[in-house]
Amino acid sequence: MKKWQFILVAVSLCVGSLWAEDGNEILKKVDRNLTPESFESYRQLINIEPDGKKREFVLFTLKKGNDKVASLFLSPASEKGRSTLRLDENMWLFIPDVGKPIRITSLQSVVGGVFNNSDIMRLDYHVEYAVEQTEDSGDEYLLDLKARTTTVAYDRLRMRVDKKNLVPIEIECFTASGMLIKTLYFKQMTTFDDGITRPAVIETDSPLYEGFKSIMVYAKIQKRELADEVFTLTFLPKIDSIR
Amino acid sequence: MKQWLHLSAVAVFLTLLSVFPVLAQEEDEIDLSQIMKAAEKKSLSGGGFLEFQPSLIGLNRDSFFYQLNFGDQGPKRVGQYDFRVRLEGSYEKRTVGLYFTGDGLLRKGFQGWDSRARLFEGYLSLRLNPRFTLDAGKKTTKWGKGYAWNPVAFVDRPKDPEDLLEALEGFYVVSADITRSFQGPLKTLAFTPVLLPVLENLNSSFGKPGHLNFAGKVYFLLWNTDIDFLFLTGESRTTRFGFDFSRNLKSNLEIHAEWAWLTDLERIETSQDGRLSTTVSDEMSALVGLRYLTASETNFIAEYYHNGAGFGQRESEAIFEQAKSPSAVPGSRTGNSADAVFPPLLGIPNPMRDYLYFRTSQKEPFDILYFTPEFTSIFNLDDGSCQLIPGLTYSPQTNLLMRLRGIFLVGSEHTEFGEKQSNYRVEFRVRYFF
Repeated sequence: MKKWQFILVAVSLCVGSLWAEDGNEILKKVDRNLTPESFESYRQLINIEPDGKKREFVLFTLKKGNDKVASLFLSPASEKGRSTLRLDENMWLFIPDVGKPIRITSLQSVVGGVFNNSDIMRLDYHVEYAVEQTEDSGDEYLLDLKARTTTVAYDRLRMRVDKKNLVPIEIECFTASGMLIKTLYFKQMTTFDDGITRPAVIETDSPLYEGFKSIMVYAKIQKRELADEVFTLTFLPKIDSIR
Repeated sequence: MKQWLHLSAVAVFLTLLSVFPVLAQEEDEIDLSQIMKAAEKKSLSGGGFLEFQPSLIGLNRDSFFYQLNFGDQGPKRVGQYDFRVRLEGSYEKRTVGLYFTGDGLLRKGFQGWDSRARLFEGYLSLRLNPRFTLDAGKKTTKWGKGYAWNPVAFVDRPKDPEDLLEALEGFYVVSADITRSFQGPLKTLAFTPVLLPVLENLNSSFGKPGHLNFAGKVYFLLWNTDIDFLFLTGESRTTRFGFDFSRNLKSNLEIHAEWAWLTDLERIETSQDGRLSTTVSDEMSALVGLRYLTASETNFIAEYYHNGAGFGQRESEAIFEQAKSPSAVPGSRTGNSADAVFPPLLGIPNPMRDYLYFRTSQKEPFDILYFTPEFTSIFNLDDGSCQLIPGLTYSPQTNLLMRLRGIFLVGSEHTEFGEKQSNYRVEFRVRYFF
């Protein structure tokens, strides 16, 4: 290898890693702009079938730190009282009639439709993914994300980030083999309590569910300090008591 | 000048777009206040479901239970119509909550109308903080990690193996949950003590009356594994203890197991000459199971269950021989029947020693949302009989759930499923939640 070629490779590697480092910082800022580190939220999930038929679910969600998420279904009546807990890679579902939590996986979906459990009980992106490549394309950053472990639902993400607000515009989710599983579209910038300004609507479609669409609408996001014990199997059936 | 006008027009248009995003995205606009209205919390809340379930039951005229109930002159098949109402409610005020679940069943069967009303749960709960909860009243505990069976569920009623996801009736207890969370490999530690009194008219189906029983569960979430140590002691039932665990081996593969040691248990045995007798011994019950989910969302559950308290093939043969002997009187519900000789043995679900459970379900095949075909089977490994349950579940609209399924019992003479009253049942269930 000629000297100038070696210098070129070395410089591009350095620049690449610097960009990845910057990319990780960008990703952390994106996470904080989407939600506070610990918060409570109210969301509606809407599954839309190809014929336009809709099914709606309302969820109360609590999150603390990097690894704790709990959700409670408030409606419809058939799902009311169901709750889910995520502690790092562990996920459980509590169904009132069954009366005890059962372990579930990130790829399953407790609501049907395009959103799966990892979408509904999502941890911060920077916790599950590392930025491998960052591109600056004027008004947007384009981040290529790689899962930090094999237990994460999607192996790779391609995230378009609005440079001005540092929130995602679009995320494509891929398997390890490079197959596109779904695309998330972030819409309707909204200012919530505590001054959080972020897209209130996340739409998703998938080549695996031709013609189907699912929408997640944030109605309220608010900072909240929570005890660690809220995120335990013993408290899972009682989450409604702290609403 | 014209350029200025154009630029001004563009600026005003862009400003309008940013100030009134609703105008630009009217199609997608969603009223957030409506969502919050649906999420509004009330002190008093209620719900439940209404259910209608017609069934066609094919009867096995050669079976022991058919002979016991109908003799030789009974029907070949019968219809049954179940109307059920389930009511759930709660009242919460600050740290105190009152919770109840009631169940009412009206049945039109071969022998006419019958009705039953039960309180499944009704208890007062004091929730001082997420670390401490105290409950008193009728409550289910649902211990164990097994799907079909739970050898460590020391203070629960047995599940209906045909309908594992159904709510169960609880016992009157005083219980607490004391929970602590930690950083590191041990993430959660929780202790659940339970006091269960048995009197002539309180929890009498649990065991011997006149005693206060003490049970407990210690739970650990350690190295991403759920682990429980459980015990029951008291005079109503013999002392027993055990443990269970559950862990994801991969993100789509879960393993679970239960182990229980039951002391001084009364068991039925056959002597050398084939006579039945009762002995007392310590017995072990255990369960091991796997749950696996494929990329196409086919779910598999397999469980092996060893019931230490159950009886084996020889005992089963002897019990049925004795029950069918001339001294027993088939066709009479008050005679010297097997029910009278060994009341707990033939009536309870899965009374023998070794079983295998297998269930597979496919979520939303052919892009049909909220539709799940499934197949369940329970094999009695001691006598070779089995129960096969294919079914379809579909929710055509919010709060409406329909289920069509068949239950087929396969087995020869003197086997558990071969001697049941019916050899098939086809049922259609419509459930509306409110």
